[in-house]
Amino acid sequence: MADDLNSMRTPLGRVRFLGSARSGMREDWLMRVTSAALVPLTIAFVWLILSLLSKDYNGARAELGHPFPAILMMLFVLAGIYHMQIGMRSIIADYIHGRAREWALMANLVFAAALALACIYAVLRIGFV
Amino acid sequence: MAATDAAPTPRARPLSPHLSVWRPTMTYVMSIVHRITGGALYIGVLLLAWFLLATSMDATAFGVASACLNSILGRLVLLGFTWALFHHMLGGIRHIIWDAGYGMDKPQREWLAMGTLIGGFVLTIIVWAIGLAVY
Repeated sequence: MADDLNSMRTPLGRVRFLGSARSGMREDWLMRVTSAALVPLTIAFVWLILSLLSKDYNGARAELGHPFPAILMMLFVLAGIYHMQIGMRSIIADYIHGRAREWALMANLVFAAALALACIYAVLRIGFV
Repeated sequence: MAATDAAPTPRARPLSPHLSVWRPTMTYVMSIVHRITGGALYIGVLLLAWFLLATSMDATAFGVASACLNSILGRLVLLGFTWALFHHMLGGIRHIIWDAGYGMDKPQREWLAMGTLIGGFVLTIIVWAIGLAVY
């Protein structure tokens, strides 16, 4: 990098046209899309959980085995976990620095992916097994 | 990039003031609470995954998960989760309103912040009242 202090180029000139973090805008937009989707999904999710409270094992399985609650739950999980993965990424970017940040970013991705897969797998298993 | 990191700084760069410098305002405190509730929900989703996996397995696993979530500690955690969920949702709606270009002036943004705080508690109380009545 041209970080030479004797360079005639200004700091702005050195970084101009190199772009931002490149995918920042897309992430920012997806954060907003998922947040908008999560408003109705959260209300529906809370409704679904309330309807599960009075049910035993078989009742809960029957409820979650219906297509509508099952799809609702999977939508909530997918939008929610994608949303929280982006959110945690910005928290990590704010508070963790250096090599630890790279590990934290990877752990965040693994955690989110594992959690999403576990939830989706469980809902599908309830419906089909 | 270690070589460039080690390069001498010509002079101290101006920094933005740190949190301790600011007088706490409603909007700034709600901004921090939004992040904290988001972080709590991040961990809290583990409970949802556990509940769903237990339900997908057998009656024994379901019984263990239900009993844990229904204990005093479990209920306290779920109460906190409910509040965090609603507070964060209302905070998100506030951000959508701001993104649309509304509510950024002096009285409106204070109302929105206050509405987020009060609304979170109100929705939590309503849902738990329904839940305890249904259970």
